[in-house]
Amino acid sequence: MHPALSVIFFTVASGAGFGLVMLTISLHLLGGVPGMESSGTLAAILVGVVLATLGLLASTLHLANPKNAWRAFFRFRTSWLSREAVFSVLFYPCVMLYALGLWLFGGELAWWSAIAGTLAMLLALATVFTTGMIYASLRTIPQWNSPLVPANYLLLGLASGAVLLTALTVAFGGSAETVATMALVLLVIAGIAKGVYYFWIGKPQGPTINTALGITRSRIRMLEPGQSSDSFLNREFSFQAAAERILQLRLIVYVCGFILPFLMLVVLLRTDAAILALLAPLVVIGGLLAERWLFFAEARHVVNLYYGRQQC
Amino acid sequence: MKNKVLQMLFTPNGAVSSTEAASTTRELPYFEDHSAQEKRHTTCYMCACRCGIEVTVEANQVRFIRGNPDHPINKGVLCAKGNAGIMKQMSPAKLRNPLMRKPGTERGDGEFVEVSWDEALDVLTERLREIRATDPKKLAFFTGRDQMQALTGLWAQQFGTINWAAHGGFCSVNMAAAGLYSIGQSFWEFGDPDWDRAKYFMLWGVAEDHASNPIKIGIEKLKRRGAKFVAVNPVRTGYQAVADEWVPIRPGTDGMLALSMCHVLLSRDLVDWDYLGRYTNAPFLVIDNPGQADDGLIARDEAGKPLVWDTGQGVFVNGMTPGVEAAMVGEHTLPDGRRARTVMTLIAEKYLDEQYSPAKAAEVCGLSADTIERLALEMAHVAFRETIEIECEWTDWAGRKHDRFIGRPVAMHAMRGISAHSNGFQTCRALHLLQVFLGTIDVPGGHRAKAPFPRHTPPPVKPARETAPNTPLTAPPLGFPTSPDDLVIDDQGRPLRIDKAYSWEAPLANHGLMHMVITNAVNSDPYPIDTLILFMANMAWNSTMNTNSVQDMLRAKDANGDYKLPFLVVVDAFHSETVNFADLVLPDTTYLERHDAISMLDRPISEPDSPCDAVRVPVLAPDRNVRPWQEVMVDLAGRLGFPAFVDEQGQPKYRGYTDFITRWEKAPGIGFLAGWRGEDGTQHLRGAPNPQQWKKYKENGGFFQYHLPKHMRFYRFANRDYLEWAKEVGFNPSSEPIVMELYSEVLQKFRLAGQGLYDGPLPPETVDRERLVQYFDPLPQYYVPLEEQRVERERYPFHAINQRPMHMYHSWDSQNAWLRQITAENFLFMNRGRGERLGIEDKSWVWVESHHGRIRVQVKLMEGCQEDTVWTWNAIGKQSGAWGLSADAPESQRGFLMNHLISELLPAADDERRLTNSDPVTGQAAWYDLQVSITPAEPDEAGSSWPHFATVKPLPGATSPPDQLRYQTHEAVPLHRSLLDIFKRR
Amino acid sequence: MKLGLVIDTDTCVGCHACVVACKQWNTSGTLGPLTDYQPYGKEPSGVAFNRVRTYEVDTYPNNKTINMPVSCMHCETADCVTVCPTGASFKREEDGIVLVDQDKCMGCNLCAWACPYGARELDEAVGTMKKCTLCVDRIYDELLPEADRQPACVLTCPTSARVFGDFDDPDSEVSRLVRERNGYQPMSELGYNPVNHYLPTRHKPHAETTPGTPLPSLTERFKSWIGKSVSR
Repeated sequence: MHPALSVIFFTVASGAGFGLVMLTISLHLLGGVPGMESSGTLAAILVGVVLATLGLLASTLHLANPKNAWRAFFRFRTSWLSREAVFSVLFYPCVMLYALGLWLFGGELAWWSAIAGTLAMLLALATVFTTGMIYASLRTIPQWNSPLVPANYLLLGLASGAVLLTALTVAFGGSAETVATMALVLLVIAGIAKGVYYFWIGKPQGPTINTALGITRSRIRMLEPGQSSDSFLNREFSFQAAAERILQLRLIVYVCGFILPFLMLVVLLRTDAAILALLAPLVVIGGLLAERWLFFAEARHVVNLYYGRQQC
Repeated sequence: MKNKVLQMLFTPNGAVSSTEAASTTRELPYFEDHSAQEKRHTTCYMCACRCGIEVTVEANQVRFIRGNPDHPINKGVLCAKGNAGIMKQMSPAKLRNPLMRKPGTERGDGEFVEVSWDEALDVLTERLREIRATDPKKLAFFTGRDQMQALTGLWAQQFGTINWAAHGGFCSVNMAAAGLYSIGQSFWEFGDPDWDRAKYFMLWGVAEDHASNPIKIGIEKLKRRGAKFVAVNPVRTGYQAVADEWVPIRPGTDGMLALSMCHVLLSRDLVDWDYLGRYTNAPFLVIDNPGQADDGLIARDEAGKPLVWDTGQGVFVNGMTPGVEAAMVGEHTLPDGRRARTVMTLIAEKYLDEQYSPAKAAEVCGLSADTIERLALEMAHVAFRETIEIECEWTDWAGRKHDRFIGRPVAMHAMRGISAHSNGFQTCRALHLLQVFLGTIDVPGGHRAKAPFPRHTPPPVKPARETAPNTPLTAPPLGFPTSPDDLVIDDQGRPLRIDKAYSWEAPLANHGLMHMVITNAVNSDPYPIDTLILFMANMAWNSTMNTNSVQDMLRAKDANGDYKLPFLVVVDAFHSETVNFADLVLPDTTYLERHDAISMLDRPISEPDSPCDAVRVPVLAPDRNVRPWQEVMVDLAGRLGFPAFVDEQGQPKYRGYTDFITRWEKAPGIGFLAGWRGEDGTQHLRGAPNPQQWKKYKENGGFFQYHLPKHMRFYRFANRDYLEWAKEVGFNPSSEPIVMELYSEVLQKFRLAGQGLYDGPLPPETVDRERLVQYFDPLPQYYVPLEEQRVERERYPFHAINQRPMHMYHSWDSQNAWLRQITAENFLFMNRGRGERLGIEDKSWVWVESHHGRIRVQVKLMEGCQEDTVWTWNAIGKQSGAWGLSADAPESQRGFLMNHLISELLPAADDERRLTNSDPVTGQAAWYDLQVSITPAEPDEAGSSWPHFATVKPLPGATSPPDQLRYQTHEAVPLHRSLLDIFKRR
Repeated sequence: MKLGLVIDTDTCVGCHACVVACKQWNTSGTLGPLTDYQPYGKEPSGVAFNRVRTYEVDTYPNNKTINMPVSCMHCETADCVTVCPTGASFKREEDGIVLVDQDKCMGCNLCAWACPYGARELDEAVGTMKKCTLCVDRIYDELLPEADRQPACVLTCPTSARVFGDFDDPDSEVSRLVRERNGYQPMSELGYNPVNHYLPTRHKPHAETTPGTPLPSLTERFKSWIGKSVSR
């Protein structure tokens, strides 16, 4: 699949933003983000919302006819994209109400603020889940058609959110111990989940050129594509990264996305080197951008079978 | 809505029908405003098939072109080319005004000034008048793939120049000539497989067209009926894709394959003796008198009738005596003591020889001996064990009644791949021999002639030779020589025609040698000419061999600084590469903007059961200052005072092309269009001119179809009622039976001339004598193609051939915005295994080298390619800037022409003048004889083809082509989904 | 009603007639125009509802060439419809034709992603998704002669390799062909349940041969004919 920058930025930014919001609110509901003033919590919510919003805005950039984007709420009944749109939009009043409570009452939770917070948290979770499901529901792309995809989206959102929250906690003078530990745990789980995903997509498993043509015997090769230049189908689906490039990027994913931030947070816990907390989110985001690029680049749409690919 | 739609039913063919259609479907909007549209019927011209089309016009734009369901050729279907007519019309390469080379610029610079038609025609008329008044043959008029040779030929004849021909010489004259000298018909326009009855079909050397829709329709019919389809072709694309068996033959060896199958049939006694005995010259006696002038001629009685040995009475009798018991095999002593053997004896002796055994043929053809034998025996099985009979009373030439037509349901079709070799004439003859052995010519299930064929072998028309100032020729420029006496040569044996057709170098050049015209004219060999008119022929690019040099020749000047070819007139509708070299450009209309007659006098569109012709009528008004070339020709003929075109006062007789077509008569009652003749339009085929004839064609959907009565549909070469009728309507000058000439006395006469034995003109040069002896075998033969004989096989191990994709017709369609989305560049295809063994990777760049030149191209490896063969799509490569394409179009950057490798001359040999790279019998351009080597290109050479030519300059007034096309004839009528449905549906 | 096509790979010669007929009809049709990019330029391409690709099965000399036209299959389980967030993409209840309402499409491409057959192409000039309409603007046009109320690709196909009809009707030609010729659905394992079906190449048993009457030597064969005669 063609890795569109708008979608990469969207999913990484909104994942991290929603992850940050989810963690912040849940910690708050559980009694407050340890060692953080309410202004810090508010800032975390703000950063989360801004990231999610930037991401959502970026996502509209890949629409070829954005003037009809408002219609995207209509097919909630069947479309994961529509659901994502609905959840993300519902998220805003809830999170704003919650933020209002935070602003008015500081750390104290009014009943309506708690409800709004809970809802915002659930809607953030749902949004990230639906984002994953947009891809996971596509039977045409074997590398996506798995529960591992929404799981990955959620875990990576939460992990990157946790690293961000750690940074914010440190920035607002709080004690990073709890959130950093949480971030460490999430990084480990997300890293393992991603590893499982990479293992799972390691061997081709989808339809083959034989099933695509309905000819089960013998080797089949494409002779003529029937077109002299790339069509929309090639521009959209035929992107293929070199195996070497994939390996390099997977290394970056692991180093920047998991290993480096893990080590930085471990060192942070040991030494209180605040700078590490502030750098970690940048490293994580870098790793996740690579991860998301690979997510698209390694996905092989079955239409490629009609262009001569043996299996997807 | 659901209920209403459910009221609709489906008819078996799938069309929606309804008892109350109007009310049921109006849930949908009216997508088309039929009141704003008009449907007109005309004839397609996106290739040479001439399918009937129905053109829907909306606001002087084409809404839709579809096949005319009633049309005999295409029966409603249409190919990709025909469907792309809109984009032909939209082409930015359309010429807009008459153009003259800008004074002071050199030819080929592509600098033009626009002139008025008056100015253009004045200049041309003056020039032509001068030529006609002095030496008319200084005008050479050659036409490309036009469909009005009857008119252009008449024009040339009236002008008085013998230097006229159409493109047949570089297309498929071998196929046409071999057929007409052997069986009185041939493939494609001359005859068709009996698609409705054949049970076995062998397709020889047919790329993706020739023909287009008729073959596709036919192949489907065969497959539906379970007939076996065998494709003999080095490449498995197009029609070969759906063949039941693919025979990957080595190019140029088909003659050997056919003759080896003849060997198998003879060795198993699987030939149709009755058919051979009755309808061919197999029982005729051939004089065996080596070293004498009568050697190899048919023994004849005093009246000139061929003799046979009557076994019943034990005497020699006229072979055309009905009922004579003719001896088939054996040697006899004629009353005068000369020895004679029957034709069949010569045939049996020749082809029973081990030289033609499957084992020997297998080596030549690159096939297995088993395959060759099996294919022959399969055909024999179908011919003789699955015979079909059609009960129908008919009368043969001798007046004998028969109650049925016996059919041997084996059919064949062959085209370019067979004929574009220098042994193609004899190969086609070999195919006909095989067809005749099986008794399949013009029988049910076999190969059936299409009117005006069959004609006599050959048709009794001789080419014109004499020219005189201001005098029409006494005969058409092209005809059928039957002996060296008919050659168009002077007393010294030198060619009289500029293309050297009908000279010793190409004695039976029935279609001329267009591919030699520029070379010969520029070399003043045999003489210089003044003006060359080219119509619809891209002779500076893909229609010529040796493209690069030909461009140089067009620029060449003599010592005085004058062009060696003084004046070049190009008539075309589009900005081709050749237009760039013109001194005068006359812009033609597109096929949707003009009248045309697709005439029975020309290249007919008949079907086996029905003589047919057709017309084109304008469906669009031209938006440019262009004129149909046929209008211009009629105009020029009037200005120049051609006798057939002016009245007693010398004033133009015809008001224009349509008037000419209506009123001109070749013979009393016979004109260009055969339908609705007679003053009241009730006579067909022959009758007085009918002023309302065009209207009648329009009313009938643009074509005329005459259904032959059932008893005149088969065995027409010997079918008395047909033969008499064919004479009456002017197809043939006599109703004598048509005897198929397995043994060609005509060829033998030329061979005798080569041996110095002929009583008449003899070739002065050794090389001609040798060629006549070697290649004018009166029986079909196989020989190694001429180029292959002269180059080192080890150095040039590959055969290189061209095919045309089904969606393109030569260079006609590179400009087409829809078709070039399918193919805009060509590759050199080669066998995958062979390529890999040579270390050539898929999509890599290679040098292809012939004895004549080299090109750099991109390779594509494939399975369906014979191992010694490389091939490409013809004419995709373009000169940058031509055809309305951008300078960086893939056609010019990565596409290529094989033509650069093909010389119009054979490799030189000692003590010999340079010879044309053509069939030595007919002068057919030997495109597919090409032998090449393949070597990988250097890495830094990849990415573009070579050679590259300078970018052609845009013509005056040309606008740059659009970056985007959004063609529509009306704004789309949308189909909406209701919001309610969006919310409601799961 | 379940409208769709049967495509016969046994007779398809890959001529692209259906491709261009489709282009021609539909560029002025309900989803038109079908934009062409760089029509005379370096990389000519354009929106197409139907494409034909050519494949080679097996290796030389046992290779077979197969042409595969692919257009919208009007699937029964059409994921392109379910994934569409705006409802622009829909399957008509009356006849199963899958369409895109151009005034509601936001050009997110998700339907194209969901289509295994490459049947949907974005018109980059207007940003909406376009696809085969089964010539809904022809097949119900009662002003056309009854025989002409068929998709343009079917009307034009020179080898009758395309047949249009109602798969709900067991007596229709399409149903009969699928039954008799073992019609199949490409990539059926994905479960889209395409309405369009493809017919496999016909299996032809080896043709029969006639041995004739071989003789021990060719000379004898020749001799056997001496004296043979035929009545002219």
